Amino acid sequence: MAELSHPKVEIAQPDTWVDRYGNYLFAYAMSRLRNREAASDCVQDTFLAGIKSLDRFDGSRDIKFWLRGIMHNKIVDQIRKSIKENKVNIDNEDEALLESFWFRYSGIATTNPEPWQFNPRKAYDNTEFWDVFKTCIDQVKEPARQAFVLRMLEDLKTEEVCKVMDITPNYLWVLLHRARQQLKVALEQKWTGKDVK
Amino acid sequence: MLTCKQVSNTLSEEDYEKLSPLRKCLLKLHVKLCIFCGTFNRQVMDNQDMCRHFMAHEESSPNQAALDEDKKDELKALLAAHSTGVKED
Repeated sequence: MAELSHPKVEIAQPDTWVDRYGNYLFAYAMSRLRNREAASDCVQDTFLAGIKSLDRFDGSRDIKFWLRGIMHNKIVDQIRKSIKENKVNIDNEDEALLESFWFRYSGIATTNPEPWQFNPRKAYDNTEFWDVFKTCIDQVKEPARQAFVLRMLEDLKTEEVCKVMDITPNYLWVLLHRARQQLKVALEQKWTGKDVK
Repeated sequence: MLTCKQVSNTLSEEDYEKLSPLRKCLLKLHVKLCIFCGTFNRQVMDNQDMCRHFMAHEESSPNQAALDEDKKDELKALLAAHSTGVKED
């Protein structure tokens, strides 16, 4: 059977990028960085990097996704820069968690976590839920929020996150656990009552 | 059969939906049956599901945040200057 090559898509020229993709990329950066200035800088850096390497774009997919790929790297760079300015330090409570029986035996924080006060799966089709979700992620304290963004939303591997944040894999586990806890509590506070059971 | 530590380590490293069918099956079975790590790791998996759905929602819904008009004008001027520079090279 003959192999189908990817059809080439029309490449939008750089002078159209701001109108076509500016808000899309800005919204993406805002959801990760939570700071308008940093997000705007990311958009600018992404477009400039895109122009510089446009000759290497093969046109096999919408350029919007290629630019988003560049932006992913810029977001990671922004977080790395922010971490350098505020070094991540493990505290006594986190050290105690890593020394706990359940973590050492099973890699967990507790055998009996609090159950969800609502069924989140029932909310996935509700746009309002995702607005609340974004707000709740924004409320997670740093550096747990940054770890969560890098690992869960930007899909970096453990080693990559540890390198960016200059932390050990065990401490990354603690940060992600803290982020999940805070996110769950925030979602339950903001969403409970709105869910139709 | 997987140990609790293996399940927890796997969930720390990977999205369970992206595991091979066999590994996913063994992991889900352990989480379903284990009285020690089951409840905790189910919530880790719930969180992975939630993030996956969030990212799908992000792609499919209209932008809510928007660049300031001033910034847009600034970017357009910058891109025009850089594009011109590239063409001249």
